[in-house]
Parts: sequence; structure tokens; C-alpha cells
Amino acid sequence: MTGYSKWLGSVGLLIAAIAGVTLLGEFRPSVYSTSTTIGIFALLALPLGLLYGQGGTVSLAQGAFAAIGAYTTAIITTRFGLSPLTSLLPAVVLPALIAFIIAKPILRLPELSLALVTLSIGTVVEVALQRGGDLTGSFNGINGIPALPFVGTSRIRAHFVVWTVVVLLVIGYVNYMSSLRGRALNAIRTDHLLAQAMGVNVALDLSLLFAITAGLAGLGGWFYAHTLGYVAPDSLSIALSANVLFMVVLGGRKSVLGPIIGAAIFTLASDFLPGTESQGMFFGGILILVLLFSPDGLMTLVPRRWRQRSTSVAALSAKPNPVVPSGAVQ
Amino acid sequence: MSLEAHNISIAFGGLKVLKDVSVAVQPGVITGLVGPNGAGKTTLFNCLTGVAQPQQGVVRLDGEDISVYPLYRRIQLGVSRTFQTPRLDLDASVLDAVMMGFYSRNKPSLFGAAVSLPSRRRLERQLRAQAERLILQFELTADPYQRSGALSLGRLRLLEVARAIASSPKYLLLDEPAAGVDEHDRALLAKAIRRAAGDEIGVLLVEHNVGFIAELSDHMVAMVRGEIVAAGKPHDVVRDEQVVTAYLGGHRVAA
Repeated sequence: MTGYSKWLGSVGLLIAAIAGVTLLGEFRPSVYSTSTTIGIFALLALPLGLLYGQGGTVSLAQGAFAAIGAYTTAIITTRFGLSPLTSLLPAVVLPALIAFIIAKPILRLPELSLALVTLSIGTVVEVALQRGGDLTGSFNGINGIPALPFVGTSRIRAHFVVWTVVVLLVIGYVNYMSSLRGRALNAIRTDHLLAQAMGVNVALDLSLLFAITAGLAGLGGWFYAHTLGYVAPDSLSIALSANVLFMVVLGGRKSVLGPIIGAAIFTLASDFLPGTESQGMFFGGILILVLLFSPDGLMTLVPRRWRQRSTSVAALSAKPNPVVPSGAVQ
Repeated sequence: MSLEAHNISIAFGGLKVLKDVSVAVQPGVITGLVGPNGAGKTTLFNCLTGVAQPQQGVVRLDGEDISVYPLYRRIQLGVSRTFQTPRLDLDASVLDAVMMGFYSRNKPSLFGAAVSLPSRRRLERQLRAQAERLILQFELTADPYQRSGALSLGRLRLLEVARAIASSPKYLLLDEPAAGVDEHDRALLAKAIRRAAGDEIGVLLVEHNVGFIAELSDHMVAMVRGEIVAAGKPHDVVRDEQVVTAYLGGHRVAA
């Protein structure tokens, strides 16, 4: 089994799903906005899946980095009148740079401390945006962000653009994991000392990955801002950071499609369930069930033969499947 | 050409763990480092591998001062090690564990990792074949895709040696490889170590099991309470008065 054949499965599956959704949208155009939202969440969740699922390093700052990306592009396009394409680079680079700078001291912390520290980054960003005066529009946020020139107001184009990026990311993810660097990342998850003894510069590798994770969240924020046309301090908030981690854990942190499935379930459930309380109850309940019966997420419920093609790395480990009522995924 | 610790001293608080210790590992030579518990063997080992840094003295690799280099850089320079307690992902396959050893010499760039070029796939196929050969050579398991956790402790140690060999080291440092390993696996381990020395790798064995080391090593160094008390041919070192005293508490027995 080569790295090549392994990823054909998951990429094929994803493209088939996108094609299906596209067809569905021909009958109900609202499908496109839902799928665009899922795609934007996937931009935040997928790199976190790599960092957390494969590298064992948790982050609760994806919402904050997305907010930095969204506000960067909002400020550049509305205050300075530049094109969204010009602001794409700063919207990705700024969160990545911030992440890289803070990475080295915090990434050596144990998991729980790291979760709390990254969570507090969200608080700092949120307060900064609320008190940012005219620059960030304070509590009101920023309105009138222009649409992307190659998308305009077309819902189907937004859908295609976002999912093209997600497919490219999935390909990159699986390539990464089937390379020696992917093995190094798994070694870091197992044991930092082991990774170092294999010649892995753990601090640098994790910092780079943390920066890439933040940069892609910035990309998600950029899409978000230009798709919705406005941003406010609470639109990409601490709650979103927690929800992104929820998507990763729910879908399966060790599989490449897991975070995307988590993003889809989260978005659909938020759309169909009325009221915040029933949503909270649903998400809390489903998370408890998943963690009890399938700690590695819903993707581990997929039959093994199937999974070997659709996941990259976990495929080689011969962990027995937990016994769970069938049909929970499809 | 050697990996050497030169006049190393380390104190933890008031306790002098190493007092002016010098040791050299030569290519193709198996050096055995023995001593009772608390002699400072592991601290010296850690100085050589980069887990600890000497307070006085230098560590040299083929003449280059590497005293302050971190662990991962020393691996890249050709100083590989194994652990007293095997460190690996027990859920990953044996093949994956051995493949990990290739990282230090074949690490792709960040960009190279995210795109799968034909050249990379070719390299990976080569490495996989090489890993399968190592698994065969070390007699680790018949099935390379077997879970590492299913192996015995002896085979896990052997797996760590195979993984270290995969990094094409110039020097190989083994921390108590024979502890808790049965006769059969110990013989496999001895064979693997001799083969490494035959390939001009300098080997350092740290053990408190004198028998295993005396039989295997070309050169033997004995430490007691942070000092080297004897060095030379294994035959002479095991008969040295201070060594016998340290191990047996003063009662001489016929060896």
C-alpha cells in the first residue's frame, strides 16, 4: 500500500460528496450557502486535525486566528479601499506570524495548560476587537466588506471556490502524513524525547505547524468576511474556537476526513435545531456518546476495510474497533 | 575520529555525579561502560547524546565541540541512541517504527512533504524496502505490518537498534540494552551489535550486567561513584580489585 493509493480514496470520496451536494443545490439553492459555511469551518478544522490528531498538540485559538484574518481583510478593503485579493496575503500571514511568535514558549506546555493558554488568546483578541475604536468598529464590527471579484454574489461560485481549497488542503494533508515528516509528527504525539532522538527539531516543527494552522484559519476568516460582508467581535469568537475543536473530536481527530465530517454535522445541526439551548444539549449529548463509544471520533465507526483507504496513517495500526451500534455515520 | 567525552564533571546540587571523566568511542570498536547503580553511567550517556550538558569539560565528535548541541542535532551528525525503556508508538506497525529512523537523513522540506512528487514516492519505496530488509536482518517479526506492541521486550530493544541503524549513524549508543531480555533475544542483540561494529560504527554499551558486556566489548570502562576506576581489556577490567569490590562488596571470588 503506497501513500498514493491511500489518499486517492479520501480525495475521491470528498469530491464525490461535493459533486452530490452541487447537484442537490440545483434544486435548493440554499444548499450552497450551507455548504460554503461547512467549507469555511473545514478550513479551520482540517489543519487543527493535523496539529491535534497527528501532532498531539491542542489549540483553542482557531476562532481567534480566523477573526484576525477576517478583520485584517475587512480593515484593508473597507478603510483603504484595496481589492480583497491584495488583502489575502496579509489576512493569512498576520495570524500565522502571530502564531509563530507565541508558539515556542507555549507549545511545550502540557495539553490542559496549552488549551487554557490558547483559549485566553481568544479573549485577548476579542477584547482588542471590541475596544479597537474606529479601526475595528468596536462592538458594531465592520459592514460593507466587498464580495470577492471572482465570486461576486454567486452562491455556487463561493461553494466551488471554498471546496476547491478544502480539496487541495486534503491532498496536502495526506501527502504530508505519508511523508517522513508525517511520521515525525506522529512521533511528536507519542513522545517529544523520542522525536528528538530521531533527529526531529520538535520546537521548530510544531511552531511551523502551529503557524500554518493559524494561517489557514486566517484564510477561513478572509472567506468568511467576503462571503458575509460584515464581521463583528462575536461572529468569530471564543465559542467558535471551542466549536472547531468539537468538530475535530466529533468527526475523528486522527483521520483526514474527520474534521470535515465534524464541520458538516455541526453546521447542519445548527441550521436544523431551533434555539441555542437545544443545540447545546444536542452537541453536549453527542460529544459524550462519541467520547464514550468511539474516542477517536465518528470516522473510526467506518468499517476497517473502508477506513484503510480513507484515512492516511491510522490505517496501519491494528487497533480493534470498538463495538458500537452500526449505521451511526451514514 | 572518535566520539569523546573529555574531562566531564557534573554536580546535582552538592552531589558530584561525574568527576573529571573521559571516555572515547572509536569507529568499529565496541566499548562497554559498566558500574553499579549510581555510578554515573546514565549521566555520562546523557552528556554524550545531548540530553544533559556537562558543567565542565567538552564532548567532541570527530574533533568538533558538540557539548551544547541539542539531542536532535547530534542525531543529524551521526550520533544515534536507544532508550532504557523502549520509546515508540506501540500502536504503530513495526515497519512504521523502523521507517522513522530514516527521518534524520531523508527529511523532506515542508513544501516537499505537502506535494507528492514522483521522486519522493520513489525515495519512499526505496526506504520501505530498506526497512523491510532491516526487519528481516534483525529477525524482528515475520510480518512488518504487525503492531509494535505485540513484540517482546527483547524484540522492542532490537527494534530500537534497527531504527537507530536506519539513521546511518557513525556512533551508536545503547542504554542498558540487555536488561530484562531473555537468552534468545540477547543473542540476537549481540549479533546485531557485532554487525554494527563490523560496519565501522563506534558502539557504546552502558550496562550493569557485567557478563553480557565483558563477552561483547573490545574495550571496557568501569565507573564507581562518578569516577573511572578501570579501563582496558574486558578480561582485565572484570578482575580489577576496585571493580570487584564495588560489585561484590569487598568479598573476592574466583572469576
